[in-house]
Amino acid sequence: MAEVVQQDGLVLNGLTKILGGRVIIDDLHLVVNKGEMVSLLGPSGCGKTTTLRMIAGFLIPDKGDILLDGKDVTTLGPEKRPSAMVFQNYALWPHMTVFNNVAYPLKVRKMQKPEIEKRVHDALGLVNLMHHKDSRPGQISGGEQQRVALARALVQEPDILLLDEPLSNLDAKLRVKVREDIRELQRRLGITTVIVTHDQDEALSISDRIAVMNNGKIEQFSTPQELYDRPETEYVANFIGSLNHVTGGYADGQIVPGSDVVGIRPEDVHFSNEQVSGSFPATVELVVPRGHFCEVYLKRADVELRAFISANVPTAGKQGFARIGKALVYHDGKLIRVA
Amino acid sequence: MARKDKARVKTSNPLVKVLLVIFMICMAIFILGPLVWLGVHAFVTNWTYPNLTPDGWTLHWWTKVLDDSALEAAIRNSLIISPIVVLCSMVICLPAAYAAGRMNYAGRKTFLIGMFAANSFPKIGLFASIATLYYALNLMGTVFGIIIIQLLGTIIYMTWIPAAAFAAVPRNLEEAARDAGASKFRVFRTITLRMAMPGILVAIVMSFLASFDEAQGTYLVGAPAIFTMPTEMYSLVQNYPIQVAAVFSLLLAIPSVLLISLARKHIVGGQLAEGFQIK
Amino acid sequence: MTTVKPVVVAESLEARKASRLSVLGFFMALPPMLLVICFVGAPILIAFTFSLGWTTGPNRVVSIIGQEIHKKDQWWGTFGAYKDVFHDSRFPGDLRTTLLVTLISTTLVLTMALGIGIYQRMIGGRIASIMTILTLVPLFVPVVIASWAIHTFYAGDGFMRTLMSHFGIDFPTLTSTSTAIAIGTIWTSLPFAILMVTSGLQSVPDALIETAQDAGAGFFRIIRTVLIPLALTPIVIAGTFTAIGIMGSFTIPLFLGPNQPTMLGVEISNFFGSYNRPQQSIVMAFIVFAAASGIAFIYIWANVRSAKQSGRI
Ligand SMILES: Nc1ncnc2c1ncn2[C@@H]1O[C@H](COP(=O)(O)OP(=O)(O)OP(=O)(O)O)[C@@H](O)[C@H]1O
Ligand SMILES: [Mg+2]
Repeated sequence: MAEVVQQDGLVLNGLTKILGGRVIIDDLHLVVNKGEMVSLLGPSGCGKTTTLRMIAGFLIPDKGDILLDGKDVTTLGPEKRPSAMVFQNYALWPHMTVFNNVAYPLKVRKMQKPEIEKRVHDALGLVNLMHHKDSRPGQISGGEQQRVALARALVQEPDILLLDEPLSNLDAKLRVKVREDIRELQRRLGITTVIVTHDQDEALSISDRIAVMNNGKIEQFSTPQELYDRPETEYVANFIGSLNHVTGGYADGQIVPGSDVVGIRPEDVHFSNEQVSGSFPATVELVVPRGHFCEVYLKRADVELRAFISANVPTAGKQGFARIGKALVYHDGKLIRVA
Repeated sequence: MARKDKARVKTSNPLVKVLLVIFMICMAIFILGPLVWLGVHAFVTNWTYPNLTPDGWTLHWWTKVLDDSALEAAIRNSLIISPIVVLCSMVICLPAAYAAGRMNYAGRKTFLIGMFAANSFPKIGLFASIATLYYALNLMGTVFGIIIIQLLGTIIYMTWIPAAAFAAVPRNLEEAARDAGASKFRVFRTITLRMAMPGILVAIVMSFLASFDEAQGTYLVGAPAIFTMPTEMYSLVQNYPIQVAAVFSLLLAIPSVLLISLARKHIVGGQLAEGFQIK
Repeated sequence: MTTVKPVVVAESLEARKASRLSVLGFFMALPPMLLVICFVGAPILIAFTFSLGWTTGPNRVVSIIGQEIHKKDQWWGTFGAYKDVFHDSRFPGDLRTTLLVTLISTTLVLTMALGIGIYQRMIGGRIASIMTILTLVPLFVPVVIASWAIHTFYAGDGFMRTLMSHFGIDFPTLTSTSTAIAIGTIWTSLPFAILMVTSGLQSVPDALIETAQDAGAGFFRIIRTVLIPLALTPIVIAGTFTAIGIMGSFTIPLFLGPNQPTMLGVEISNFFGSYNRPQQSIVMAFIVFAAASGIAFIYIWANVRSAKQSGRI
């Protein structure tokens, strides 16, 4: 068992959970600093929700410890943990008004009426919902419900905020807006946050750090930039952004025969009419407009590469020269070289 | 690992456990006790108070019941009348249930609540009221009169439960089938009806039992010409020893046990409860 | 203008289709409605006129057969039969028994259903499922048998007295007391109440309970503020159906109750049959009906409330 570090924030130390006879979470380690926003990112069924529910106290790990600000909370029930969770479907109580939904945690804590009133107003103000305080959850929109759920979590002034795919029920546009709202609030309040998502865009744009999960394990835990620039495993590289896969080796900007896997981001493939050092001849096969850039399929004798090009987009059938800016070389799925 | 999921409430307290088990035993005695006590009597010669065991065992009462022509007639009547009642009920009520579940015709709510209001008039008072009408229509002492009386008790089951079941079939499943080229009738038969089937099954079982167990009205209309098994019970308990009533009870319970076992999954699964909420 | 026209046509087509459906729906609903109108509505209405002393027309035969018939002396009728009933020495006792048994049994049935339902929802486990299955057993048993079984079980030479006498306890003979009526009605009402209540409690989503837990609420607070309010409609429905069923019951008080005072269901039958006083019998039926209507109102209110809450109104 790894050494337990005495530190603020959240520490998951060797968590293991078996459900239905299967190991769902397998010796998981994670350290979230105080005030940090961390995403759990991974495909469906990889154990994100399970991990979050263990942090919240709804599930108790079979092995390992959970520490919050240095205190062991592994076996504490959810009502005793200083955490607040926002559920995927918001889980607002339909028989209570927005105000009462948000006030509930405070009433449970036996707070005085004026104090409750004030705090609920503050929380609703924070999410811009004062005008809906007497509405019922059934009468407000999905985005507004989401914000009520958030207010209900924030009003508890939790040490740690847990969000389980809080945006998946919103449409694309609202999703971007609400996620920015959440990020802004989180920064302002300086609240330690773990957010579960399977949307890489979401994770990349709002997190301080991202934990990419696969099969109940964390594959890589680092900043969005680093995750993008130096994906430690082929799995992570595939999951974050797009990638050209070529079996072979990589030397001097050229793909050479070999047995490793060369991963090249489409934005690192350049195309021009003139030959420069390191470039090689290629034909434009297909051009797919993607909004502010175009996806261009280039073909060399043996390999096909996708490139994202935003200026001077060539037309199909054009002959020219391709150059690879950066390549990631993997051996047995592990990163061995960035060139 | 000793740690447990869903640590909602700790039942580790041994006192709570003991109290629970005691409560369960009391419930078991309360519910099963009378049935077992009566059931055992079907096989005993005599039982002298306050002995813990009967004086002797016998099958004599079974031959007595099965040989008695009046009792046999009652069994036959029950087994003929109840299926007829259920069939009539289905023919009369199922289209209405479909309409109540799927169409928003004027007075739909009035219909459902009217069915309920009809159910809240005390049965025995209703039968006394119907008697007047029956005398006028010459229905007293006829099988037809009994069928109508029993039909009334099944309506609430045969309209409400299937109505909820029809209402619960998602429209887009039907639309998908239409889209796949199925005709309207085929969609109804293969999708709508199939998905509403558990609810209809529960309604059939409950209706059958309602008809099979109906005693008050049947007695009022049928006696003394026509007896069914439950109305026969009325005179049985007065005129025969307890053992005969016990044998008869066991016979009378057979259809219920068979049918409910058949539909148990759906009844417990919420079809019955779903049907009793007007939507 | 020309582009607007097809839209209008399409709209009216939709409307026509909807109204055609509505008419079709009405006709499909007609058969059971007619049945109920002819054999429930009409008899009740006729019986009501009879209770007011209208002794002609459809009430002629029964007026000739019956005894102590009051004929109307005003244009609207007479309260003679009602006065008879209210002045009858047995009536107050019967009414009290009826209301008391209904109240006590309904309360106990609901308490048991809630207890078992909440236990199953919040804790679960083997004990809970055994208990639910156990309480469903009465659903399998015809009322006549149940009444008779309970009759023998609590009789002077029944099981309870037999068993207790071996412990030196003189267990009271409950058969032919109002306690036995209560036992019988609880016994037969349990399954329906349990089904309604457990299904209502089970349909409260886990997430709504878990958020309350996350907010720090304890066991009983969750039950009080989340579980019961969200399952209130089925709970109320269970209560009203139980109460209405018990109030009009006949077989159970007939087999289990004392001769005097008994429940009005038995008395209605006695007055109609044994005493041959049909008018008074009908009056009692209307008294029970009035009480049941009060309860039915609660039921309808609960349904409307739930429709409102889910935004259907
Ligand atoms: N109570 C349970 N019993 C058995 N298996 C379970 C249980 N709960 C979850 N699982 C399994 O654990 C795995 C991980 O589930 P989890 O809900 O954590 O996934 P997730 O990463 O949140 O996926 P998604 O993105 O779809 O929400 C799944 O394969 C699921 O089937
Ligand atoms: Mg999940």
